[in-house]
Amino acid sequence: MLQAYWYITKMKLLTNLTYRFEVFTSVATNLILMLASVFLWQTAYKGGAGSAEALSLQDITTYTILSITISTIFVCDVQNTVYYKIREGQIVTDFYRPIPLLACYLAEDIGEMFSSLLNRALPLVVFASIFFGIPWPSSFQNFLIFLPSCLLSYAILWLLSALVGLIAFWVMELGNMGNVKDSIVRVLSGSIVPLWFFPESVQTISKFLPFQYTYQTPLGIYIGNTSITEALTSMAVQAAWIAILYLILAAGWARTKKKTLIQGG
Amino acid sequence: MVSTIKHYVSVASCWARLAIQRQLEYPLFLFSWLLMIPIQYFSGIWMLKIIVDRFQALNGWDFPQLTFLYGLGLISHGIFVVFFINTWSIDHMVINGGFDRLLLRPMNVFFQLVASYVNFIGLIDCIPGIIIFVYGAEIAGFEWSLVNIGKLILVLIGGILIRAALFTSLGTIAFWTKRNGSMVGFALTMLERATMYPLSMYPYFLQALFTFLIPIGFISFYPAAEFLHADSGGIDLPLSFALWTPVVGIICFLIAGGIFKFGMKNYESAGS
Repeated sequence: MLQAYWYITKMKLLTNLTYRFEVFTSVATNLILMLASVFLWQTAYKGGAGSAEALSLQDITTYTILSITISTIFVCDVQNTVYYKIREGQIVTDFYRPIPLLACYLAEDIGEMFSSLLNRALPLVVFASIFFGIPWPSSFQNFLIFLPSCLLSYAILWLLSALVGLIAFWVMELGNMGNVKDSIVRVLSGSIVPLWFFPESVQTISKFLPFQYTYQTPLGIYIGNTSITEALTSMAVQAAWIAILYLILAAGWARTKKKTLIQGG
Repeated sequence: MVSTIKHYVSVASCWARLAIQRQLEYPLFLFSWLLMIPIQYFSGIWMLKIIVDRFQALNGWDFPQLTFLYGLGLISHGIFVVFFINTWSIDHMVINGGFDRLLLRPMNVFFQLVASYVNFIGLIDCIPGIIIFVYGAEIAGFEWSLVNIGKLILVLIGGILIRAALFTSLGTIAFWTKRNGSMVGFALTMLERATMYPLSMYPYFLQALFTFLIPIGFISFYPAAEFLHADSGGIDLPLSFALWTPVVGIICFLIAGGIFKFGMKNYESAGS
């Protein structure tokens, strides 16, 4: 059973490694984003401003570099895959497969994740290290907690993406709601500006939303802004969100399947 | 001459009508853009506000001035995507053979490329652009005199020409390589960061690059600095910058036209 998924993962990995030019431009684009953001922070911290902040310029630089790097690894194409397959009607043939459809798409995304790790994240970290020094974690212990926290983050992001994908079953011409979700996530996850800098009220609301547990939690652990106990608490919250989103997805998916059958593909 | 222009205008308006009808066919499709674009740009300016409030003005650019610059950059982007979005898909047209069709018709190829798709959806980019710009002009104390409005229009035209020249040159690469990957995304990111944020944040080398080699600093940064008497960074040019933008725009556009013509000589159909 697992062999089937591994095959999908491997094929996606190999396909992605052949598109070299796309990889080059993607690295360049992310590099520009990274440089521009770090220069923005350097300007903000210039002349000793922000010395009262809990985060030093070095912290925020590491935060930014890591944020852009992990955003290239967190591949959640499921929303686009479902959207296009439904539009083109290919979803029908995918239903013929003897394995669960969403698990198939997850395997594909994981394959892309592996290839991105090699050809997007790695070059970015190398370039960032040349320009701004190696973005070390605050301690080895923090790094060890950072890794599982990242996995939980990815699970939340992927489930959100899959949920958005489900919308396409109901309203086919709604356009790509995935982009709308992405722009909300970008702001509220703290991937550009950490939520610690946001007004108090926004921070309070954000605690009850899943978004800040996708980027800010692992990155906060990495730069050591979150203590170990706090880190474990937020990881528990991450796990809780995964459970909630999974249940919603499972419920939605069961109804969606019926919906597709009615339409006859 | 007059009849040629009339002919071109009638063809362009016919294409525009078709393109708009095509896009209005799926009104719900517009809806996702109508949600996404404002979220994206309003949150962008909100981020800047958070940073400026928490820290300090960015190299002398306070929040009203930043808003003005952000809005100006966004409006010129919005108008650009309405009229020139087809320059993004040159590689696509080369691959699927769509470019051959343009070559067969007895009209200017570049005109056909640009005029055949008026991106009505691009107007959505202009909505947050105009709101942010007008708000920025208000709080930054921009004087809406006739002279300033005239200058503003010239700057917008110049900025759009610079953008068009950049994307046309990038698209031309596809005549040789058949594809130019996601160069468009790369250029868009670069443009956003160089036209909606103060150029003076970047190291001197990048400022010089974006002033002399790829003159995107003229799209919004130098004009905004001129309008608001803000600090334009390390590079000083004589005369009024607001007058330079259209000149730079026309020069860039002519150069890009030359590159495009040169590229077309090397064009081999990919077949379809």
